[in-house]
Amino acid sequence: MRKTRLWLLVALAILSLILAGTSMAQKEKKAAAPAAKAAAKNVVIGFTASQTGKFNVEATRQIHGLSLWMDQVNAAGGVKLPDGSAVKFTAKFYDDESKKERVQELYTKLINEDKADFLISPYSSGLADASAVIAQQYKRIMITCGAASDSTYKKGYTLVYQTYTPASRYLNGALDLLSKMDPKAKTIAIVHEKDKFSTDVVNALKTYAESKGYKVALFEGYEPGTTDFAPFINKIPAGVDAIMGGGHFADTSTFAKQLYEKGFKTKMVALLVAPPEDKFAELGDAAYGIIGPSQWEPQVKYGPEGAKAMGIEYFGISVADFTKEYTAKFKEPPTYHSAGGYVAGLLLEKAIATAGSTDTEKVKAALDKMDIMTFYGRIKFDTEKSHGLQIGHDMVDIQWQRDEKKNLVKQVVWPEAAATAKPVFYHAK
Amino acid sequence: MKTRLRFGYLLPLAIILVWGVWVLLKGEDTLRETTFTVFMFIGMASSLNILLGYTGYVSFGHIVFFGLGGYFGFYLVSQHNLALIPASLAGGALSGALAGLLGLAVLRLRGAYFALATIGINEAARAFVSNFGPFGGATGLFVQFSAYEAYGGAGPALWTTFIYLWLVTLVVLLASSLVKSSRFGLGLMAIREDEDAAMVMGVKAPRAKTIAFMISAFFPGMIGTLYFFKNGNVEPGDAFQLHMSIEALVMIMLGGMGTVFGPMLGAVTYQGLRGYLLTSPIFKSLHLAVSGVFLLVIILFIPAGVVGWIRHRIPLTRKLLE
Repeated sequence: MRKTRLWLLVALAILSLILAGTSMAQKEKKAAAPAAKAAAKNVVIGFTASQTGKFNVEATRQIHGLSLWMDQVNAAGGVKLPDGSAVKFTAKFYDDESKKERVQELYTKLINEDKADFLISPYSSGLADASAVIAQQYKRIMITCGAASDSTYKKGYTLVYQTYTPASRYLNGALDLLSKMDPKAKTIAIVHEKDKFSTDVVNALKTYAESKGYKVALFEGYEPGTTDFAPFINKIPAGVDAIMGGGHFADTSTFAKQLYEKGFKTKMVALLVAPPEDKFAELGDAAYGIIGPSQWEPQVKYGPEGAKAMGIEYFGISVADFTKEYTAKFKEPPTYHSAGGYVAGLLLEKAIATAGSTDTEKVKAALDKMDIMTFYGRIKFDTEKSHGLQIGHDMVDIQWQRDEKKNLVKQVVWPEAAATAKPVFYHAK
Repeated sequence: MKTRLRFGYLLPLAIILVWGVWVLLKGEDTLRETTFTVFMFIGMASSLNILLGYTGYVSFGHIVFFGLGGYFGFYLVSQHNLALIPASLAGGALSGALAGLLGLAVLRLRGAYFALATIGINEAARAFVSNFGPFGGATGLFVQFSAYEAYGGAGPALWTTFIYLWLVTLVVLLASSLVKSSRFGLGLMAIREDEDAAMVMGVKAPRAKTIAFMISAFFPGMIGTLYFFKNGNVEPGDAFQLHMSIEALVMIMLGGMGTVFGPMLGAVTYQGLRGYLLTSPIFKSLHLAVSGVFLLVIILFIPAGVVGWIRHRIPLTRKLLE
């Protein structure tokens, strides 16, 4: 009697395990069915969003940008195809918690269960890299945004397209600006965070600087999470013409602050990621004169005239309208993360319109040939060795300056064509 | 070491065996991915349990073996084109050897001091890797997409990786059962209850602890290699995430430490719950809060873990659940 009861228990346990598994699988299938049915006119765009975790702020802006695009294109009746039908878009997404662990699992689910036709990458190079494997494997086109690393495009993918200017060109503009401001400048010091993105950027910067005849007097990395930069600042040789580097928001802001407090004399300080953020102004005097590369700023002047001069087509919303509508909808001005999210959708829209189809091969061909101007800047992809790498878009460099009322304001200082103010030299305390 | 595996030891093995076969038969990619995550954590929790559950030493450094072993295995795959199985074995071997060396040094510490030392090891390993040239430094390593060609393309490569992971999970559970049912395991449990008394009774505590540490470190190295291969890239930040060590601890506590079945159950429950909440339309914005409340309730009311609680309440199950 006892034994039978035991075995019954075991059998029950195993049975419930299997049942739980199958019922879950069935539920997922049921949920996916309507999307598949409507696929003729409705295109599903799948992505993961970092709704929680360390990328939450940037990723949310990116998703806001994307959803603004989707609302607009759907409200305008979708993308018209030559056969008379219109393509409308729906978004399907999950939270990736800013961690790599589940990214591949979730993208596999998006493709197989939710029948996503096109994919947008998660925010950050690391997560985008993990998701790109899945996109390529299932032959889905993926537009990456919020991911600047070059290495993703050196792996032989053919369906992954980048919206951001790659890390290898991030700080080159600042160096060009330096040679413009002071043709006699000879030496720079590079102090950077030791993570993938910042290291990629400064390695490329070093090569670029040396090719232009600059001497890199110091090339030093600091661990992520560093809060005391005194040892690094002390190491910078006196008389360098510029200090470049940084990493992410917290460390870069602290670095800028401590540079100012130490009273370091140099002509230019150009740092990654933090300066374009509005919060950077909270540093007060320490923010003045700091230069930072940005993918996009609301002040940029991309427009149909510029496109005409370059002999390429202008597509989509204007800079002013984007800024106005985004601010109206989300109660905050757009940043380059928002613009990146919007333009990712815009590219798909343009490619589907050009291809006249939602077929992956045809859309891919349209993306490969794409060379357009948008509110976000020029878009053109490498189709050779580093397939999908962004080669059209350029960074803008911003600088914190003071207006007539002595308030800190962000001005675009490079490239010259897009500049809203003249650059100033850096002044420490 | 003569061992007799009773039914209770075979049950977890049988479940994982059936589960893996079921996934292979169904052949659904989404199911494979979900199961991959769960198996990975079963392997992590069960291997940690050999040290934590049987020997009673709390280690926050389990992820070091996952990271370093995985890094080494991935390095062999991506830079030297080594096949996945020998590479993951090499990753495991490196982790095991490292644990042997570390064990000689830090296993002399007891209680909170040992736990603290293991946190330090995690930071040291991350700093080492981000400065170590052959491992790509701060930018990490990646495999070319074409590397999957050797496994018949990316799709089959992911299935192959899954099958390897399934086998590794089975071996972890087998090792856990063998250790627990052996004389060596009894020695470990004696150490857990009272280390000095165990030594008086003739258990060679330093040696036994080091061997347990090595066994528990070997498997994360293998799992790490498979996981990074599946991801296609590795960076220092992803390889040494302290939170994964802590999650493994939680899974063991949840299921019942010192049992073979417990860590497995804990991993399945914890990961299953997280995965479900993350994708369920109702909870997907609240998943962290819900899983937090759930864990709190369990730790408040059943501190011995699910398996410990069942064994205590229903004497019949004591033979069934080990």
